[in-house]
Amino acid sequence: MRDKQFWIVSGIIIAFLFVYNFIGHPFFLTNRTVMLFAILLFSGTLIYYTRLAKMGEPIFLREIPGLKAVEEAVGRSTEMGKQVLYVPGIMDMDQVETVAGVIVLGHVAKMTARYETPLNVPVSRSIVMKAGREACRESYLMEGRPDLFQDDMVHYLTDDQFAYAAGVNGIMVREEPAACLYMGKFYAESLILAETGNSIGAIQIAGTASQSQIPFFVTACDYTLIGEEFFAASAYLSQKPELLGGIKGQDVLKTMLVGTIIVATILRFLNEMGWISWDVMNFLTIQ
Amino acid sequence: MFWKRTIPIAIVAFVGFLTLFGWFIDEPNIKVFVEDEATQWYDILASFAIFLGALNLLKLQSQKILKKQKGWQFSIFAVGGFGFSILAGFVIKGNDAIQWGAHVTGKGTLFKWMFEYMFTPLSATMFALLAFFVASASYRAFRIRNFEATLLLISGIIIMLGRVPIGIKISSWFIIYLTILGFGIVVNSYFKNKQITLAFIGGGVLLTTVFGFLMGWPIDRPGIFYLPLLQDWIYNIPNVAGARSIMMGIGLGIFATSMRYILGIEKSYIGE
Repeated sequence: MRDKQFWIVSGIIIAFLFVYNFIGHPFFLTNRTVMLFAILLFSGTLIYYTRLAKMGEPIFLREIPGLKAVEEAVGRSTEMGKQVLYVPGIMDMDQVETVAGVIVLGHVAKMTARYETPLNVPVSRSIVMKAGREACRESYLMEGRPDLFQDDMVHYLTDDQFAYAAGVNGIMVREEPAACLYMGKFYAESLILAETGNSIGAIQIAGTASQSQIPFFVTACDYTLIGEEFFAASAYLSQKPELLGGIKGQDVLKTMLVGTIIVATILRFLNEMGWISWDVMNFLTIQ
Repeated sequence: MFWKRTIPIAIVAFVGFLTLFGWFIDEPNIKVFVEDEATQWYDILASFAIFLGALNLLKLQSQKILKKQKGWQFSIFAVGGFGFSILAGFVIKGNDAIQWGAHVTGKGTLFKWMFEYMFTPLSATMFALLAFFVASASYRAFRIRNFEATLLLISGIIIMLGRVPIGIKISSWFIIYLTILGFGIVVNSYFKNKQITLAFIGGGVLLTTVFGFLMGWPIDRPGIFYLPLLQDWIYNIPNVAGARSIMMGIGLGIFATSMRYILGIEKSYIGE
């Protein structure tokens, strides 16, 4: 009971749900009850750990080599006097991976501002261009180097997938950046980009939640942030307690999920053997 | 501060909660908004935003040509292609029998010609590059450097052979012989004795042959050494297990990130 306020609010929400259920739960789709409770439980866990971290609870975050290497990559570019190329994926801001990519861009921009390293961000969507510019502008301002910021460091190429890949490849071959960072949502162009980056000898770091592209990045890049590591990047790079708390919450949720899988497997086995009649699969399947 | 921070966060929180909890509410207007209208709004916004991108592209490429910066010759193609697309899309139809609007897909129009004979081959060229990149990437991935890379190489060979017609023709016996030879290498490197290695390989081959004849093994028995069945197992069991664990991590990551935005914990997207 370290966070009284949290438990009071949780109690009020649970009481409200009881009352709502008691009066006949109008407008509610009852076949999605399990999903609703899962979301409430997940959200509650995340909020709880975020608040704990804010209150000063120490949070341990294991070292993620790919994120540690970001600063190393920027440093290498600085030493070589070359630019850092940042590719925030090929999708728009309605994809959470693109949003995560733009957030990481903000952190990378802070480093490039600190080391006075040129940053080149070709994008494939206009809204991403605007969001990326704002993220970079704020980072350069926060580092006290607004003079180094230029709008055109985040520039638009094209919306088309392969035309964009061709454009970025052209930049790589002509400018020969010392570091290439790929953070966002990628499709088939991932290998084209990463292999070209590999051929010019750039240090490459990729982060994506596009499952089918992870093997390509693992093969062609020096470091790859796989799935959740990519989403933890912002917390890791900023070291803000409230964000780190969320990462701990995420790990607790993972433990809960593993527990659910084990219990569900046992219950399913018992049901298959005919020892219990209740089928856990019907309960857990999203309607 | 209020307009640049509080209002955007409030909008994200409101629309986020509406979209999240709208999924549980049986109300047609909310359902239509969540499933259809919200995404349409975004598409409309994105359509208008394309002008920003197009202008930025034109500005940068034109500057490159005017200042004769490094690689300015390529920019001529970019600006030329841009101008030609505008002409084909809005000025020259090329076929009077087809209405404006339908000319982007209609036969005999300049736009359709541009799409079929310029855009499609160029896209196909880029896509075709993938084949070469896959080859070079596979070479790097399959190089035997450590235990994991060796495992990847063996799994890759099994999957590739098991999915092509010749894989069906390779009998389980042949794979058993190959396995014995593989273990022979391990035995040899451990004992470093020719006699022991020969005894192991010779004994193994003899035992397999005698046992196979006695049991009357057909081409696909024992199943564990038959490539199509083996690749099927690798593809559906260990591969799916690994993929699902990554998917679970990704799902949790997406959920946690979305919640951080909705609750206003993560504010970096508005530059904070």
